[in-house]
Amino acid sequence: MALYEGIALIQEKQAVVLDLGTDYTKFGFTGEAAPRCIVRSEFWCPASRRYRRVHDYASADELYDNLVHMLHLLYFRHVLVNPKERKVLVVESLLTPTLFRETLAKVLFTHYEVSGVIWADSGRLCALTLGTPVALVVSIGAKEAEVCAVVHSCVVLHALQSQPLGARAVHAELARLLDEHAGAPLNLPDHVIEDIKVKTCFVSPRSRALQWASDTPPAPARSVRVGRVEVPGAARELCAEPLFARDAELASLPDAVLACVAACPRDVRRALAANVLLAGGGAALRGLRARLAAELRHLVTQPPYDSSLHINEFKFHNAPAHENTCAWVGGAVLGAGEAGAARALPREHYAREPRLRDWVCLLDNTPPQHPHRDHWDM
Amino acid sequence: MAYLTQPDYVKYICSCGQLKPITSLYFCRHCLKIRCGFCICHEVDSHYCANCLENMPSSEARLKKNRCSSCFDCPSCFHTLSTRATMAQPRQVLQDPAAAGDAKVESKQPKKMYYLSCFNCRWTSRDVGIPDQPVASGGWPERTNPHAARVNQLLDYYKAIALQEKQEKIERERKKFNIRGKYITLTDKTGLTGAMARNIAGLPSSESSSSAIASFVPSQASAEVEELPDDIFTKEVNLNQITSMPQRLASPEWQPVSVARLHPLAKLLSVKRSQRCRACDHNLTKPEYNPGSIKFKIELLAYYHVPEIKIISHEPVKPGATSALLLKLSNPTGHEMTLRLLRPEDVPPHDDRDEPKSIEKSLERSLNLDKDTTSFKPIERVPVYSATSHVTPPDVTLTLAQRDDAAEYDDDAQHDTNDIIMWRKSNKLALRLEVVTDETAEGGSPAVAKLALQYSYRNTVPPAAAASQPRDHTLYTTVILDLGTVSSN
Amino acid sequence: MSHNVKILPGATVCEDCTLEGDITIGGGTVIHPRVTIIAEGGPIIIAEYCIIEEYSTIIHKKSDKQENPPKPLFIGAHNVFEVGCKLESPCGHIGESNVFECRSYVGVDVKIGSGCVIGAACRLTAPQTLADNTVIWGSDHHVREALEKQPSQLLQLDFLSKVMPNYHRLRKPNVHKRQPSTRQSQESSPKP
Repeated sequence: MALYEGIALIQEKQAVVLDLGTDYTKFGFTGEAAPRCIVRSEFWCPASRRYRRVHDYASADELYDNLVHMLHLLYFRHVLVNPKERKVLVVESLLTPTLFRETLAKVLFTHYEVSGVIWADSGRLCALTLGTPVALVVSIGAKEAEVCAVVHSCVVLHALQSQPLGARAVHAELARLLDEHAGAPLNLPDHVIEDIKVKTCFVSPRSRALQWASDTPPAPARSVRVGRVEVPGAARELCAEPLFARDAELASLPDAVLACVAACPRDVRRALAANVLLAGGGAALRGLRARLAAELRHLVTQPPYDSSLHINEFKFHNAPAHENTCAWVGGAVLGAGEAGAARALPREHYAREPRLRDWVCLLDNTPPQHPHRDHWDM
Repeated sequence: MAYLTQPDYVKYICSCGQLKPITSLYFCRHCLKIRCGFCICHEVDSHYCANCLENMPSSEARLKKNRCSSCFDCPSCFHTLSTRATMAQPRQVLQDPAAAGDAKVESKQPKKMYYLSCFNCRWTSRDVGIPDQPVASGGWPERTNPHAARVNQLLDYYKAIALQEKQEKIERERKKFNIRGKYITLTDKTGLTGAMARNIAGLPSSESSSSAIASFVPSQASAEVEELPDDIFTKEVNLNQITSMPQRLASPEWQPVSVARLHPLAKLLSVKRSQRCRACDHNLTKPEYNPGSIKFKIELLAYYHVPEIKIISHEPVKPGATSALLLKLSNPTGHEMTLRLLRPEDVPPHDDRDEPKSIEKSLERSLNLDKDTTSFKPIERVPVYSATSHVTPPDVTLTLAQRDDAAEYDDDAQHDTNDIIMWRKSNKLALRLEVVTDETAEGGSPAVAKLALQYSYRNTVPPAAAASQPRDHTLYTTVILDLGTVSSN
Repeated sequence: MSHNVKILPGATVCEDCTLEGDITIGGGTVIHPRVTIIAEGGPIIIAEYCIIEEYSTIIHKKSDKQENPPKPLFIGAHNVFEVGCKLESPCGHIGESNVFECRSYVGVDVKIGSGCVIGAACRLTAPQTLADNTVIWGSDHHVREALEKQPSQLLQLDFLSKVMPNYHRLRKPNVHKRQPSTRQSQESSPKP
């Protein structure tokens, strides 16, 4: 593409890909292999003289302001392009609150006057980076873990699973373990706990976790001193246990994966199990993959799954991107070229009808012949 | 007045409803409204490197991915790296570089070798094994993204699929229409298709898309999962060798986990922004092209057009009581200005003021091919502030002389005082006013007084070329004053 | 306090600095004017080729648990004490090739190895031992390990020892190296 600039080929401007996560935002251009910047989803608010998170809002107006400031920062500090007349591809989860989607659309169209926006869900985008027809995407974000089955580029909506077992759950557990060890609440700020988790923690293998749960705990790993905090070996190993803790609701991460597979049509179940992809920043914890694989292989032999699922192997993919940018890279691949640009919602359409198509909205998913179609009044 | 370290005591209400000090506001000369950073349109004007102040045309910036080619940032603390030189022996260049400090007597001339060093955290390019460069700048090795090849493969594959779909669609459309054509095509006569003709002529075939689709290999899943190394439980964690999250995320393509794999980051460029009013699409500020200059080509700031109000002093505000307030007004324009102080409720609303001009304006717009603002709904909100006090506006029209830079050194201040005006000095005026506070104000709550200002403005650059004379306008502004806290009785 | 300042030949010590107590300054060391070196808790021994810049303070504090004879504060070779830095310790060992940047403060009970850098305005107050090649920088006192030795200051030392005599009065070295031939001078004492 760079070669053509001298020949003045009329080339449409590259679209930008935006992934506004709860903790981190990834922003960059389509057609590239990695985002230009990965920054925290917060901005400096001079009025209150502190960093404000984009996702901390009490009203729609506040969210509007937050998004305006965050996008301003992203466009003018990190990618250095004009927001006007440039398409945007927004990577989001299928379960994004409607208020957030609509406000983001309003900000992009009326405030920044972009020429068109494509909304894409992260499950399908992660599957896009693999190129396989069937994929089971386990996306572990900051707030929640989402298991999404993508079959021939369609998400099996009724099998979608979501649990609040994201990186924040791991942070909370780590904070609890550290407080326990120190004997007093430490009240460490968020970034310190994240630092400790990233540098020292890992997920112990299944056999060791069972030992911990039994009466004879094994010898813990070495403890580490990070700044002023003493991180005991037990905290290092066990901070990710909430992801695998099974309670009566069977709401652990491997359970969510198996529930998703069980809810899918029978003919794809084996294929899904053989094409698992771990995505999202929370999945980068050392040892998580191995532990998840072990747990899945064990759980599939236990009730209630042994009667319904007949799967004997779980295979994992490696996406051509780091875990935290997997969905973003999918977005970059989708948005490149004219095919991606053709899917965008143009600004004129939005001006006429300021509403987004959504899979939950009855206006969008009732077929036209349905008798009640005419009665929807929005 | 706005301060860097203190809170802003005087805030103006922008036309979009935000409260900002006068230094953060702009004034649009064509719509005659105050605008703020929130409601204007920002645009990227030019790129430059903040360190070497080198301007970069936007095409080059796009090529270099918005990074400077000669400046680098330290991957450890993100400070700017500086190039340091050592004398190295060409023969011993692979040995311990610490020995290169002293220039020994050698047969070959000792060359100057350069390495990057951070003065903040003392990181050097030698820490990660980057060999010293013989040139002062531009010789630093660049790393390639390990995933780039696969992503490019994916991109080609999907492009090929899209192309194929498009071709199929065109084929289907075409098949509907010309099953029976009037004219016999060359293909029908000779049985020679375009592809065969191309083949015979020796031109490359246009079927590259199918090859891309055929040669694409989807990702292979494996049942083998990388297990934790056995020594992870017993190995000592050396925190100095592990990168922190900001260090990892600073280079999104590699995200190194170990400190030994950090690489100097090419410095990100900065931009100069120009700002534009959304309603009338005229520029409010346009900076100069030279990165080293802080001046503007177009500078329509509210500070230069809207009268400024400063609080000189005030008595503590008590609920239900009247306190004195000393204000200083100044006229920044080059013309005489008549001022009136009003209550904010008395400010005439928008529509009255706009109506008489609407027909003319729409005519002008259609003639001048102005921006189509039909789809633009101005972002306007009701300003949110709770003012427990209000300033009693005196019923007198004040005149402020124009700003005269040469007269600053003149000492004779005109002394026309009545009970409102304390002193007057060229374009400044000090007033003594009264602040009446509601009885419902609580002790300890912030004391906020509101005041509206009506002032005359002479527009020296009229929007339409037809009007030869500059017109005088009467403009209104509402100001919010922060008077400390309400003192409880 | 007895003033017993032994300056070895080759050292450049300005007359303006305050030297109190039992101090030994090695050859090749440059001590700028306005330096305060107080050895109240015991002797201070500064090895060769150190640079001690203006307004630095090196205090060998008197502590309660004083040993008898008091242990010396030994400062290794090739250390750089930049402007305004402060070093206080009752006893201790400072290694070689350290850099104490401007206005840094190293308190009591801090042992410092070799090749360390204490960043500007960093304060080390808690008792600790710094491993070799540790760099402390930033207002948050980040710690990192330097994989490369700090650049040597020999050029600077050379320059200073040539230029200082032009602008300042120097104290004369009062320890003469033992001459291999014949006469011994009056105050010869073996190098400590």
